[in-house]
Amino acid sequence: MKVGVPRALLYHHYGECWTSFLETLGVEPVLSAATSNDTVVTGTVYSDNETCLPVKVFTGHLLELKESSDAILVPRVVSQYPGMKACPKYLGLPDMARSFDESLPPVLAPVMDLGDRRGRWAREWHDLARDLGADTDRASAAVKGLVGGLQKAARAKPPAPRTDDERDITIGVAGHLYNVYDTRASLGLLDRITAMGARVTTVEEVPRRFIRRQLNTLPRKIRWDFENRMVGAALHWSRTASVSGVIYVSSFACGPGSMIGALIEDELGEERAVPLMTIILDEHSGEGGLITRIEAFLDMIKWASRARRGAPASKAVQP
Amino acid sequence: MARDACTRLGLGYVEAPPYSQRTIELGVAIAPEFVCFPMKVLLGSAIEALEAGADTLVTVAGYGACRFNYFAEIQRRILEREGYRFGMVVFDSPRDSFGDFYHNVRIVQRAAGRHLPSLIKSMVLAVRKGWAYDEIDKYAIAIRALELEKGATERAIADCREILTGAWKNTEIEEARRAIKARFDEVPIDRDRPHIRVGITGEIMMSMEPFFNCDIENWLAKKGAVIERSLYMSDLFTPMGRNPVAGRDDEEIGLTAAPYLCHEIGGHGQINVAAAAGFARRGFDAVLHFFPFTCLPEIIAKMVFTRISSELDVPILSISIDEQTGRAGMQTRLEALIDLAWNKRAKKDEARDLAAAGT
Repeated sequence: MKVGVPRALLYHHYGECWTSFLETLGVEPVLSAATSNDTVVTGTVYSDNETCLPVKVFTGHLLELKESSDAILVPRVVSQYPGMKACPKYLGLPDMARSFDESLPPVLAPVMDLGDRRGRWAREWHDLARDLGADTDRASAAVKGLVGGLQKAARAKPPAPRTDDERDITIGVAGHLYNVYDTRASLGLLDRITAMGARVTTVEEVPRRFIRRQLNTLPRKIRWDFENRMVGAALHWSRTASVSGVIYVSSFACGPGSMIGALIEDELGEERAVPLMTIILDEHSGEGGLITRIEAFLDMIKWASRARRGAPASKAVQP
Repeated sequence: MARDACTRLGLGYVEAPPYSQRTIELGVAIAPEFVCFPMKVLLGSAIEALEAGADTLVTVAGYGACRFNYFAEIQRRILEREGYRFGMVVFDSPRDSFGDFYHNVRIVQRAAGRHLPSLIKSMVLAVRKGWAYDEIDKYAIAIRALELEKGATERAIADCREILTGAWKNTEIEEARRAIKARFDEVPIDRDRPHIRVGITGEIMMSMEPFFNCDIENWLAKKGAVIERSLYMSDLFTPMGRNPVAGRDDEEIGLTAAPYLCHEIGGHGQINVAAAAGFARRGFDAVLHFFPFTCLPEIIAKMVFTRISSELDVPILSISIDEQTGRAGMQTRLEALIDLAWNKRAKKDEARDLAAAGT
């Protein structure tokens, strides 16, 4: 028995937990390959034209698994944190997946509701494990492993920022993991920034307690978990001046993104502490526009810091 | 309904002018680029209300995962940046946070200078009156295509609105509801006239407001379509998930949507999937789905609709609406759908006649 796991969307958050769950059951997980141009094109052709980029990428991965697996695991993530809600896209994802192609293998859609402190959702995973042919002991062990893994991941300390890095410019990149860590979807954004001589720090490197402190200053609670962390991280970077610039990465037609994008712009615009650039990704593969924008942003930061130190900036202007 | 509530509570209110091209332009000019169309319109509408002299905006925040949940905050920020000064009361669903809900109720209560029980009573009555308003719509779209005398339905609507405006007490509202039903029963209709049955689903603002959907209900009626709609405004304000006007409760919605959409997805997504599946199972000839550009729940619904359409054999047309929507493009697509529906109807009738002749 082979169960496919699309390498897209929340795989970037929980993927390891899902695959180890399947392995414990003695089921072979089949991962789709890293996003390529073909993935994006297939996804764009098959999914609705108004969905966001990550869903199109997801569709591409899903259809890639059609031949190679007997079933596809698309967990329905209802909430990622107590008191939080998931984007409607996550909620309807399995149903969307079922409607793409009639010849698709069965879609397994156990609910994952991390907002439920009593963990009632684990029951569905247990049932799924039994359906996949595991005995009770093995199913229980797998579910325990899954829940434990998720808890461990939630409690894990953020990776310590590297201190040996000499570069003096740090860019905070606030964006969804499935955009930022997908080198095709983001057109290699992180690598490009690093190659241009700046350090990159991402949202997961900001500890939860800093994020909570910043979020308490907002008049209205945001109810999406990862968006919460993005806003908190952007505010933290701005208010502690720990970065030289913030890049907010969103995808075209991202619903929560359109809201928090406006929010971040408003807050950071009022504080005037760090410059902000918004990058909206879509399925187009032209890299030129992105490169120019990152270059311009970094150049601006470099000149601004030189001007602050009183050094003549003119040398850098002429090529 | 909101007007009714304010009059009851003795609050001064300013009515935003009806939606117009100007509303859209005002909203689009200052809204974030990627928010969905209703938010741009609401923003424009809020500006028009403030220009007309309002000093407090009362709004509701959506329940669930839809981005409408955070819209009020963004709206406040944008308007303040534009230099408007006003107070804002945002009602959350009591299901999300009862504390906030109660706090807001107290604000309104202080402004109105009324006791809490009398406030609740006023709100309940306002919602009931809303039901009656929506029932007028519900009856009208069902018979407009069949009326014998042109304009009879419109006259009935006008009469009914008048009856209802004068109703204040609970008994009066109940009486008005009965009178409305009787008034529509009086409208002469031709039950044998050939017609098609069309179900309308979609985001509530787009499917209800004639200004956005190019007055679809009248247009369809002219083409001989009997219409049923899945969503009514006052149903959203009815607690406990009963939808008295549309006549379904939430549990039933979940069951109807079940094989196609197995979870609540925010906004009206599940309601619409349930409605479309319900229409298809009841033998409707076509289903229309209106949604604003980039609406999250409705796009999921749209993708699920492809499956409903092929499995239950019903044509479903999804139309995405934004500030660029033009009348002509929409009508061409609608005409195609209507033709398809008429053909299907004719085939069905033929098959039925054959079966009748065979026995």
